[in-house]
Amino acid sequence: MAAVAATAATKGNGGGSGRAGAGEGGGTRKKKGPGPVATAYLVIYNVVMTAGWLVIAVGLVRAYLAKGSYHSLYYSIEKPLKFFQTGALLEILHCAIGIVPSSVVLTSFQVMSRVFLIWAVTHSVKEVQSEDSVLLFVIAWTITEIIRYSFYTFSLLNHLPYIIKWARYTLFIVLYPMGVTGELLTIYAALPFVRQAGLYSISLPNKYNFSFDYYTFLILVMISYIPLFPQLYFHMIHQRRKVLSHTEEHKKFD
Amino acid sequence: MKHYEVEPQATIAEIKTLFTKTQGKSLKDEDVLQKLPVGTTATLFFRDLGAQISWVTVFLTEYAGPLFIYLLFYFRVPFIYGHKYDFTSSRHTVVHLACLCHSFHYVKRLLETLFVHRFSHGTMPLRNIFKNCTYYWGFAAWMAYYINHPLYTPPTYGSQQVKLALTIFVICQLGNFSIHMALRDLRPAGSKTRKIPYPTKNPFTWLFLLVSCPNYTYEVGSWIGFAIMTQCVPVALFSLVGFTQMTIWAKGKHRSYLREFRDYPPLRMPIIPFLL
Repeated sequence: MAAVAATAATKGNGGGSGRAGAGEGGGTRKKKGPGPVATAYLVIYNVVMTAGWLVIAVGLVRAYLAKGSYHSLYYSIEKPLKFFQTGALLEILHCAIGIVPSSVVLTSFQVMSRVFLIWAVTHSVKEVQSEDSVLLFVIAWTITEIIRYSFYTFSLLNHLPYIIKWARYTLFIVLYPMGVTGELLTIYAALPFVRQAGLYSISLPNKYNFSFDYYTFLILVMISYIPLFPQLYFHMIHQRRKVLSHTEEHKKFD
Repeated sequence: MKHYEVEPQATIAEIKTLFTKTQGKSLKDEDVLQKLPVGTTATLFFRDLGAQISWVTVFLTEYAGPLFIYLLFYFRVPFIYGHKYDFTSSRHTVVHLACLCHSFHYVKRLLETLFVHRFSHGTMPLRNIFKNCTYYWGFAAWMAYYINHPLYTPPTYGSQQVKLALTIFVICQLGNFSIHMALRDLRPAGSKTRKIPYPTKNPFTWLFLLVSCPNYTYEVGSWIGFAIMTQCVPVALFSLVGFTQMTIWAKGKHRSYLREFRDYPPLRMPIIPFLL
């Protein structure tokens, strides 16, 4: 059944221009942006986060050199990893109060999935902390976040070196699948221990007439990667084409 | 006839977007051309809304599902609980009462859809029926599973708790129905007029003094009653999600009342008296 809606343009501007671009950088069509106080705060936030993830990177390298092997490096960066990844929850607030033009829902989803992996899987199931898969996603996240936060810092200061923009929109091609692999392998490794300990699970009968099986929940989480990961990945690829070709054109006119 | 100018290299896709780019809010079917806020020439933009489905169809489908699904769990049809429980009956009175209340609630909704409501829009996007049915049917199955489970635990405070909850539920169901009738009487059959709703002689409608959408207030109340009656977390979660959605709708309705009517009663809040 074909249905149609009509609007009328008044003389002058009918309003309703396109949606502001998501905070993924790229060409900003409307240079509205946050006010001076918010900008100062965001610069500080992004600098601190860049520094934090650099600390994690350096910690990994030093631990590797000291131990002579890449196994069980998690323990040497456990605290800063928890601190700075959990701190990213602030980014949800930034979107909610409007100083960052990203979608609250999308940002919440991304941050919560990281926080979930750090606390509800790696922290909660001690036996997986020595798995190599943990190192896999920690390295992927570390490189990604260092680039991402420096990208935001430079963007806010209106001075973005091309190399950072290039890195942000190119390295994900390898880092994203690497991180996802590490995450999935870690969750998979946690499963038997969750089953054994009945971790975070509640069974009937109980006075709240509710049951929850964390083991099944984790399996559902793993399955959810199947539809979600390709969507996010190809969205980034699409963004890459838009952002990097845009810069090429500008270069031509310089 | 309006003429658009395009370059020879323009693709058909680009020409199509000239027709389908809408700006601002949609006009209503009843609007008269002369009365629109435009100059001597008006530019009309059209947007294809995509596949549509009637509100009545959506409502009937999304309400019939929970009615039927709950009964599957109540009668413990095979493959839901262990085979030794097939077609057995719960020994708890509250479980039978809950089935009555849940079924009554959805039968009421179906009858209201057929005989009471007067819809502003005929249709909604087709994808809504899949979204809505997943929500209603999914939650109904989830709640029904626990309430009718062989290991169900009756409320901590026994029949006192159940009696209180039942009272809340019945009052709110009557309230909700009263509001639906009052709203129906605001609008003659077949028309789409909009008026400010006011309290009538029916005491349940006096809630209009304090809120714009007392139908939603009563609906939340009903589900809170049902949650207390069954003492079941999934019911409480369903109430919470429903409350969140209804609050969004109530705020929207409240805002359009304020925009449309200069003399809108200032004391009214969208859904919760004095608070929200």
